[in-house]
Amino acid sequence: MLKMTHLSKVYRTEVVETYALRDFNINVNEGEFVAVTGPSGSGKTTFLTIAGLLETFTGGQYHLDGVEVSNLNDNERSRIRNEKIGFIFQAFNLIPDLNVFDNVEVPLRYRGMKAAERKERIMNSLERVGLASRAKHYPAELSGGQQQRVAIARALAGSPRLLLADEPTGNLDTQMARGVMELLEEIHREGATIVMVTHDPELAARAQRNVHIIDGQVVDLAEDPRFHHAVHAARANSPA
Amino acid sequence: MMHIKPILAALKRHKAGTILIALQIALTLAIVCNAIFIIHQRLERVQRPTGMVETDLMAIHSAFVGMGDNQGGPLIKADLQALRQLPGVQDAVSLNSYPLRGGGWSTGVRTDVDAKDSKAHTTQYFGDDHVLSTMAVRLVAGRNFRSDEVVEADPRSVPDPSMVIVSKALADKLYPDGSALGKPIYIGDTKKPTTIIGIVERLGVPWNAMWSDDFYENSLILPVQLTSPYTSYLIRAKPGQLAEVMKAAPAALVKVNRLRVIPSERGVRTFAQIRDDAYKGDRGMAILMSVVCLVLLGVTAAGIVGLTSFWVGQRRKQIGVRRALGATKRDILSYFLTENLLIGVAGVAIGALLAIGMNLWLVTQFEMARLSLVYVLVGVVALLLLGQGAVLAPALRASRVSPVEATRSV
Repeated sequence: MLKMTHLSKVYRTEVVETYALRDFNINVNEGEFVAVTGPSGSGKTTFLTIAGLLETFTGGQYHLDGVEVSNLNDNERSRIRNEKIGFIFQAFNLIPDLNVFDNVEVPLRYRGMKAAERKERIMNSLERVGLASRAKHYPAELSGGQQQRVAIARALAGSPRLLLADEPTGNLDTQMARGVMELLEEIHREGATIVMVTHDPELAARAQRNVHIIDGQVVDLAEDPRFHHAVHAARANSPA
Repeated sequence: MMHIKPILAALKRHKAGTILIALQIALTLAIVCNAIFIIHQRLERVQRPTGMVETDLMAIHSAFVGMGDNQGGPLIKADLQALRQLPGVQDAVSLNSYPLRGGGWSTGVRTDVDAKDSKAHTTQYFGDDHVLSTMAVRLVAGRNFRSDEVVEADPRSVPDPSMVIVSKALADKLYPDGSALGKPIYIGDTKKPTTIIGIVERLGVPWNAMWSDDFYENSLILPVQLTSPYTSYLIRAKPGQLAEVMKAAPAALVKVNRLRVIPSERGVRTFAQIRDDAYKGDRGMAILMSVVCLVLLGVTAAGIVGLTSFWVGQRRKQIGVRRALGATKRDILSYFLTENLLIGVAGVAIGALLAIGMNLWLVTQFEMARLSLVYVLVGVVALLLLGQGAVLAPALRASRVSPVEATRSV
């Protein structure tokens, strides 16, 4: 589903070159739930923005759903983002001027979908996250957890091949975070491929697989003993 | 256009900015439509013909000193003789007034001797048989005066002439069936008929004020040489010799008789200068209105640029999110253009009503003409295009916002 080989991302200024990702390799299979972890500044978010085609990369190869994306133009990248990728952001990123229904509708409109199909998909995905009754509410009228559920509904409405989640519970309290995480697990059980960036060992423990990044490179989790132990401890305490 | 509903929904959440810009567009349209209508009217007035061939034409105002109203006759004759003999002069005539002079004689005219009210209002030009050739007006029916038909008269007691040449506009007004030639008219209060012996294609009145617009082309030419010491000489130079005649003619008059005053200002003018002076006010009004229009359009365009730039800055993150969710650059550009178009359409709809309302008020208060809807339609299209032009730069800037903006925390 997602395969990066020897990928690098360099930010250049007049005086300095900074490697955000260096010789980066990852392979996520269809139906997997992968947690990408690492300390702050390790390159997690850069990985996510490249994986989501929000940013280009400097070197290496990236295949998404079998397509090499490095030579795609801006319009093609937009189309792939729209049709194949669902985003869940830490800050929810709902559009404050639009109500819940219209927010979920945004990616579907860019796909040029007919109104009847849009409505059906929106209501289905809102029902799935338990917010069908809040369709006419504005984001400011919802709790953080509800806003993130709307964002998940928006990501799901387009039936993406890949869900990319950037610290999806980072702005939520424990109870709300648990609810969102259970929802993601449920979505995964239904067959979705999920790549979640997090620095929370408890969340990482609930994914099928952990990919740990340090200094822009994938490393063995054991190379970060504190995080390694935290993940193991979380797994041991997990009710599953 | 498929995004209109969510754009309208978003605009409802930004009522203040939206209403202010829509109102600004509405006011601009209302004022610009009426201003352009006024400009067009003024420019039409500035360009309206007098009926004379105005090139190679000049005028001199002369006043003999220490003389009564009935004593100017022989001196005017001598002046005309001297002027007509100048090598560069084609013809010359002494008149009480001429088109665009600013002052002249006016009267009512009847076709029925017993009628109490006049049928038309007109100006009167008193001159000899050289009037038509000097003015170079086109005789479309009848004939010119013969020299023996011209009489001298004291301006205080002008006798009713037996014949007259009229402008076509006046002839048609007096005899709408086109049979004016040879028919009688009654000038002023007189019971004595004056026969129309000639009709000229067009001859304007001496005034250019709004009040004279209703009878602008109603003119009578009477075969009367006034003996007033105050007179105007209209002089036609031979082609290309106007500059020489401008110098030679006043000198020739002074040579005939030094006891006269030729005003240093406006005493000797080419007809181009006379037209220029006559329509100075109209041109000034047209320029003022044009400046007002340009300033208003500029302020409105700046307002649109300012508001859209503000909105683009405010919605940077939102634009990034839209791009992340699949919007192309073109989608973002189209979003802002459509948003502006919706505000513009609301603005011009209100503006069109305001423009018509403003014109109706001007019609009742200042007797202005009715605004043609063409001006409103052209104004609507122009304002919408201006709006789209103004929003283009900020909208293009918005379309260049990277989708990675969606992941920025601030």
